[in-house]
Amino acid sequence: MVTRLNVPDLAFAAFLVALGALAFALAGELSIGSAAAMGPGYVPRGLALIIMVYGLVLGVRAAFSGGVAFPEVAWRPLLLISASVALFAVLLPLAGLALTSLAVVICAGLAAYDVRLRENAVLALALAIFAVLLFVTVLGLPIPVWPR
Amino acid sequence: MDLFANLATGFAVALTPANIGFCFLGALIGTLVGVLPGIAPITTIAILLPFTFSLPPASSLIMLAGIFYGAQYGGSTTAILVNVPGESSAIVTCIDGHQMAKQGRAGPALAIAAISSFVAGTIATIVIATASAPMSWLALKFNAAEYFSLMVLGLTGAVVLAHGAPEKAVAMVLVGLLLGLVGIDVNTGAPRMTMDLAGLGDGIGFVPVAIGLFGIAELAVTLGRPHERQLLSVKFRDLWPSWAELRACTPAMLRGTALGSVLGVLPGGGAALSSFAAYAVEKKMSRTPERFGRGAIEGVAAPEAANNAGAQTSFIPLLTLGIPGNAIMALMVGAMMIQGIQPGPQVMTAQPQLFWGVIASMWLGNLMLVVLNLPMIGLWVSLLRVPYRLLFPMIVLFCCIGTYSVGNTVFDIWVMLLFGVLGVFFYKVGAEPAPFILGFILGPLMEENFRRAMYLSRGNPMTFIERPISAVLLAMSLALLVILVLPAVKQKRGEVFKE
Repeated sequence: MVTRLNVPDLAFAAFLVALGALAFALAGELSIGSAAAMGPGYVPRGLALIIMVYGLVLGVRAAFSGGVAFPEVAWRPLLLISASVALFAVLLPLAGLALTSLAVVICAGLAAYDVRLRENAVLALALAIFAVLLFVTVLGLPIPVWPR
Repeated sequence: MDLFANLATGFAVALTPANIGFCFLGALIGTLVGVLPGIAPITTIAILLPFTFSLPPASSLIMLAGIFYGAQYGGSTTAILVNVPGESSAIVTCIDGHQMAKQGRAGPALAIAAISSFVAGTIATIVIATASAPMSWLALKFNAAEYFSLMVLGLTGAVVLAHGAPEKAVAMVLVGLLLGLVGIDVNTGAPRMTMDLAGLGDGIGFVPVAIGLFGIAELAVTLGRPHERQLLSVKFRDLWPSWAELRACTPAMLRGTALGSVLGVLPGGGAALSSFAAYAVEKKMSRTPERFGRGAIEGVAAPEAANNAGAQTSFIPLLTLGIPGNAIMALMVGAMMIQGIQPGPQVMTAQPQLFWGVIASMWLGNLMLVVLNLPMIGLWVSLLRVPYRLLFPMIVLFCCIGTYSVGNTVFDIWVMLLFGVLGVFFYKVGAEPAPFILGFILGPLMEENFRRAMYLSRGNPMTFIERPISAVLLAMSLALLVILVLPAVKQKRGEVFKE
């Protein structure tokens, strides 16, 4: 992609402005108080404002410092790792640790470009057993092991 | 002399069988992880944090500290043998260490790295023990304004020493401060920026944020990079360096230790900076600088001594002032707070067992690294042959279980995921997560002290420069920033981080 903008810097600046605006809005109902007796909203709103302005300055600078494309994102690892974490969050309360571990490891394993399916399955099985033994049997964490 | 009485208290704690065990376990896990490239020490500490919460406070900190310097040590092993620094403070060790290995002197290189680390660790332990008392005494004179200014200095240091663009590091600190404020306001009880989510009532969890940024994001980024690893087949005929080599190294070792001890205390400092500086100093002081880069043993001894000394003295600001100087120390603060300990000068007087126990354990841990790890180098090297594709699914699973176990809620898993994705974004745009985590930890503390100082001065911001200690601290921050924008330094800084 040919660009005359510094895209990574611009993206970061946009993130700052968006985050600052969101925080400013969320802190909107909190009372500000005075400098001598600050309310809960004083510092958050101040910071949010500073972040927004800072983001704007960075953004303007990025628009003129030119010519850097956004670095390529390796989507496969990112998506599959994220998916495996989401899987953990969804499955654990329903299916218990044993089956969740199995699913998480299989899903995460696919994130590697050099994945070998059979090896991954064996690894998942081994790690599921290991996780249950280590975390529930040895460390005694209160995590359900099986679906209820 | 109180020093010996204090150290005796410390050893009494550190030498209980359980704590020896945790110290060993920490050093072992740390080494293991330090050896494996792609898992930084900070990642390990973040992932293992939740599992130490069920331990007594002293044991938990002893183990975490063990992981920290174990990782330091493991990182140099891979630096020497494979030319892959296990973590950033071992980068300079690659230069001469790997050359030595290529010349068949891997054994002496590894041994000198271990010996230097141990010598530095011993001296740094004494430094911590002697420096802590006056530091705490000073800290007890601190008021809200001084604390605020001290934190400003700490964060400025983090910005100056962050890799990459400093203006992005500033932004990351600010974002960290802001997100640190989410949750119930301590003064008024008002929920702030919680979006009415019950899970955010106590703020954004520290563990999910740390594991997301340093664990999940790290994995996603590492997997996206093609990685090649060539293993050097090393023979361990002669593990020990000759007397001549040892004698040649001793001054380098001591200089490295001194430099590391000083740089470690600085805000934002720590192991990586110390090792870079020590290498540069040795090269400059040497009568035969041309040997550096071609397997000079001093080029291994000095940075290894420095990074270990720096790693250890970076505990000083944490233990005495309650202010973390770098991201790893920020994780330690997180660990202490979850244990119910508010880090600060009062820890030393209120909980001497904890304080001195952790310090004594550092020396013990360093001894263990030398005695137990040198004979196991063969084992560590064989670990390098384990392909990454077998390791990372386990790390993903551990991240999830660890985060879940803190509050037994899947809400934290979603927070971790969010910060994992954010972490990848930060990486792609060249913004460092380390200043963020420092800001995140310091946010609530800083706000509290700011509000209190302003309350005491009846809303007059001049209080920060009218109080002398506070003024000095702020002046130092300003000086750091000025130095940063000076063109000459800017150039030099670029060179240092380029290597």
